[in-house]
Amino acid sequence: MSYDVTTQRCGLAALFDLKGSRETIQNWAGDVLPPFPDGPNTRSEKNETELFHIGRDHWIVRSPLSQEDTLESRLNPADCPPDISIVRISDTLTFFRVTGRDTLDVMAVACPLDLHDSVFGPDAVTHTEAFGLKALVLRYADGFEIAVEQSFGDMIEDYLIRAIS
Amino acid sequence: MQRNRRAEGGRIDRSRPLRFTFNGKPYEGYQGDNLASALLANGVRVTARSFKYHRPRGIVGHGPEEPSTLVELDGEDASGNRPATTVPLCDGLSARSVNCWPSPGFDLGGVNQLFSGLLPVGFYYKTFKWPGWHLFEPAIRKAAGLAAAPASPPASGHFEARHAHADVLVAGAGPAGLQAALKAGRAGKRVFLADEGTEAGGSLLNRALTIDGKPAMDWVSGTVAELDALENVTRLQNATVWAYREHNLVMVNECDPDRDGILERSWRVRAGEVVIATGTTERSMVFGNNDRPGVMLASSVQAYLNRWGVVPGQRVVLFTNNNSAYAVAADLAAAGVSVSAILDSRRTVAPEALDLVAGLTVHLATVVSEVRGHKGVRAVKAAPATGGAGTWIECDLLAHSGGWNPNVHLWSQSRGALRFDDDLAAFVPDQPVQACRAVGAAAGDLSLDRIIEGGADLAYGIEPLWRVDVPGQRGMAFLDIQNDVTVSDVHLALREGYSNVEHVKRYTTAGMGIDQGKTGNINIIGTVAMQQGVPLQDVGTTTFRSPYTPVSFGAIGGLREETVLFPYRHTPVTRWNKDNGAVMYEAGARWQRPGYFPKPGEGLQEAVNRECRAVREGVGVYDGSPLGTFELKGRDVPKFLDFIYANIMSSLHPGNGRYGLMLSDDGLILDDGVVLRLDAHRWLLSTSTGHADAVNQHMEKLLQTEFPDWQVMITTVTSQWNNATICGPRSRDVIRALGTDIDLSPEALPFMSFCDGTVAGFPARIVRVSFTGELSYEVNVAPRHMAAMWDKVMEAGAPFGILPVGSESSHVLRVEKGFLSLGHEVDGTVDAYDLGMGWAMSKKKADYTGKRSVMLRRASGRVRRELVGILPVDPDRQIPEGAPLTPGGRKEATEGLVTACVWSVVNNRWVGLALLENGHSRHGEIAHVRMKDDVIPITITKPVFHDPEGKLMRS
Repeated sequence: MSYDVTTQRCGLAALFDLKGSRETIQNWAGDVLPPFPDGPNTRSEKNETELFHIGRDHWIVRSPLSQEDTLESRLNPADCPPDISIVRISDTLTFFRVTGRDTLDVMAVACPLDLHDSVFGPDAVTHTEAFGLKALVLRYADGFEIAVEQSFGDMIEDYLIRAIS
Repeated sequence: MQRNRRAEGGRIDRSRPLRFTFNGKPYEGYQGDNLASALLANGVRVTARSFKYHRPRGIVGHGPEEPSTLVELDGEDASGNRPATTVPLCDGLSARSVNCWPSPGFDLGGVNQLFSGLLPVGFYYKTFKWPGWHLFEPAIRKAAGLAAAPASPPASGHFEARHAHADVLVAGAGPAGLQAALKAGRAGKRVFLADEGTEAGGSLLNRALTIDGKPAMDWVSGTVAELDALENVTRLQNATVWAYREHNLVMVNECDPDRDGILERSWRVRAGEVVIATGTTERSMVFGNNDRPGVMLASSVQAYLNRWGVVPGQRVVLFTNNNSAYAVAADLAAAGVSVSAILDSRRTVAPEALDLVAGLTVHLATVVSEVRGHKGVRAVKAAPATGGAGTWIECDLLAHSGGWNPNVHLWSQSRGALRFDDDLAAFVPDQPVQACRAVGAAAGDLSLDRIIEGGADLAYGIEPLWRVDVPGQRGMAFLDIQNDVTVSDVHLALREGYSNVEHVKRYTTAGMGIDQGKTGNINIIGTVAMQQGVPLQDVGTTTFRSPYTPVSFGAIGGLREETVLFPYRHTPVTRWNKDNGAVMYEAGARWQRPGYFPKPGEGLQEAVNRECRAVREGVGVYDGSPLGTFELKGRDVPKFLDFIYANIMSSLHPGNGRYGLMLSDDGLILDDGVVLRLDAHRWLLSTSTGHADAVNQHMEKLLQTEFPDWQVMITTVTSQWNNATICGPRSRDVIRALGTDIDLSPEALPFMSFCDGTVAGFPARIVRVSFTGELSYEVNVAPRHMAAMWDKVMEAGAPFGILPVGSESSHVLRVEKGFLSLGHEVDGTVDAYDLGMGWAMSKKKADYTGKRSVMLRRASGRVRRELVGILPVDPDRQIPEGAPLTPGGRKEATEGLVTACVWSVVNNRWVGLALLENGHSRHGEIAHVRMKDDVIPITITKPVFHDPEGKLMRS
């Protein structure tokens, strides 16, 4: 009997890495970004655009790929103030969506983090490990997403197939 | 015919018979049996041979403490060295004894018993000595060891390793563990309860005890039912807590989990609190021939009787120093077994204990000094504890109890302290170090009434007896049955100066092996204490190490096997590479890269020559995507770069790049790479493939520890940029053919500059750098475009004869140019001056990483190994990389080594690089490579064999 889990290797999304003070980024980006998340390792969302707070003075913004050019022009990485950093990283991460009744079982194989909903809530996002690799893990209503450095994508897909079967 | 099986009783299912074979003979058992109980039920007494002397052995225990009977399982269950007591019986099971041939009943290795005097403790150390040891080493190696590892992996199924988190982890589901789990579960805590048994209950499964006047197992059933109804409780059986690591990380191995396809599951549980409820293990008595088949732990006899409905013998003698054996005798008598006598080393016994065995013969202040019988007990000699003539008592089973040891293994692994409790005559948990507590018998509460309210049990009442020591005693008295370690062996070790108990352990092997001395360690400590005349507390224990019981390597590895044994990375060109015949292998940082592209019938060298010729004479292309790439932003980036590179980077203008060396604190070369200045505050830094992570760590460490106030923000963009590096005299033509809006002229895009634009319709950044020494363009695009870009490069380059170039050819091309390679010329000993790259060491900067170390080292004036080129005097002579250079090729200390040697198509000969003492001043000399059977003369040259002025790459 295999685990009742569905995995999906997601296509590209528009991703930008944001570093610097929240105020400066907010002032520069204006309303293109969702409201900043309340706490670290949480995310916020507005109009399909999500903002992940993943470290001190560090965020990732994600939008559908179709909005990449718009985001690029609004965030204007090349001309942003010197005390903030905005870098397009859309191609650097490969996302996998893990859903289904036994999702927590498969995630427990992949990830050493405590993903219990009392600890890793519905808006949680953090850098951790997945199958021994640095990964970004996000919780959604119907499961989790795992993002790894794009070049490891094939290997994670391989791992997920093994974990489920 | 299960002649030792009782007609009723036990927790087995007699309606479900199971057939199995042991050493090729067919037997039958029942569902609920383990292999040991089934063998005893069938009257199999000799089940093993001992490790060293090949003495006949039988079953001693009933759980993981079993020191004697190890078996090898065949077929789909193939595994080695499994204690028979821990092998659940299943239909078709096939098991064999280890360490004997052809059978435990008749074992040719038994001849060792005749030479036992020649096999003293530490005989390995005493005999494995030069010059003759290698003559007999093979024979000893063959004789040593137990079962072999299975020849092939499991035919089906796989292992799984997973993580879990709990507020409370409880190790052990005996009465104390169940109580602790229930209390925490009722309080709403996340509870993880793991128990090594097939069902909960611990010692209650084996004993006929009551709680509040009802059978104790009724209480167990009720508690388990309540626990199973709680969603916040995870309860596992067949799950041994085998290791306790730092920060309350606990390892649990679950065998045969309730899921098809998973053979074993390894849990890594992080717990807020760990409750150690691991119970106790009965220890052996030590007397002459205490290893004969039919000498068993009293608690195990009780377990086989009550749990498995097996009577291991018909005429039983019990030997004890505590009250627990009286309950065993009572159970045996109640079952109709003849109890010949109870021999108790104590002078007095509590009336409650004597009341239990009313009508049985009890000899106080009496010990067993010797056992008669070879392949089974025939009689025991009962002797006064204070010495004197003994009497023989005929029997076929001796059940003995030397007392009980709290199972403190996990406590000790947690680094918690132990103390010797004189009342219990055992080591018990003392001060914890991590968030854990011991409960129940593991904490020293050795009777049920002390563990649970309403529990009824005898008081313990031990008077320790570490070994029987009466005059006239005969036979080997074993302290460690698994490793054949006797009292005499420990005495000899002490006489030879191994006075520390840890040294005694290593010298004698006592307490090692699969059982880890669970039944005998305390007797070893007691024997040492007696011999040294000190309290046991002063002798102390040996270190308790994980695993508590054997764990399969597969369970530890989990899913990590076959293709995911090691991490691997791919670029978008991998598919194309494979489709075009590339030989792929790892080339640093887990990247799978093409080594070379052989045509049908072509070998490595022919393929490499063809690829190199294309680059030198036409055009080639390689996938440079794995190079580490970082974008740096901030006002302090210029001074940061000046600090981490040996040369000056801050003077770069936007649009330009510069090669530089990055040094470590000790002045050695950490990495080399190119820095591009994108604009006033944005920089791009590239590193070697293999050192990308190390450089990232180096930079972050500096920023977080040395310069926390500097404004430098680093973003890893290795996978945001892929690049096709087009190199060779026709590379400019190929890019023009691809179509680009970037002016490729040398004036507009000179060497070490870059420009953003489009190439073949894709957004691209072209960087003019060269690792081959030829005109070269890195065409950087986003990975989403890389595969299509690559196709277009090959298409546009076809008229120019473009070839894909693998890592092997890149190596040749860089050697011809004398470009350094980390891991070859940069070997952790050389600095920039040694490599002839003193120009990269800034004289203007006040300080930078590694500067002081380099200056200090060079100020010593010691001879340095310096980079040189080498030409074998015989141009067709290849030299292995790493080959040593010695003065005159003589057998003397080396003066250097060959770092690389390649066939150069432009020179039509072998050329190479070497690190040679004072090499810079020895150009033109003949040096010598010393091989095992040969000496190869070489001419020392400058380390460059192609375009020494660098005109081509700047063209």
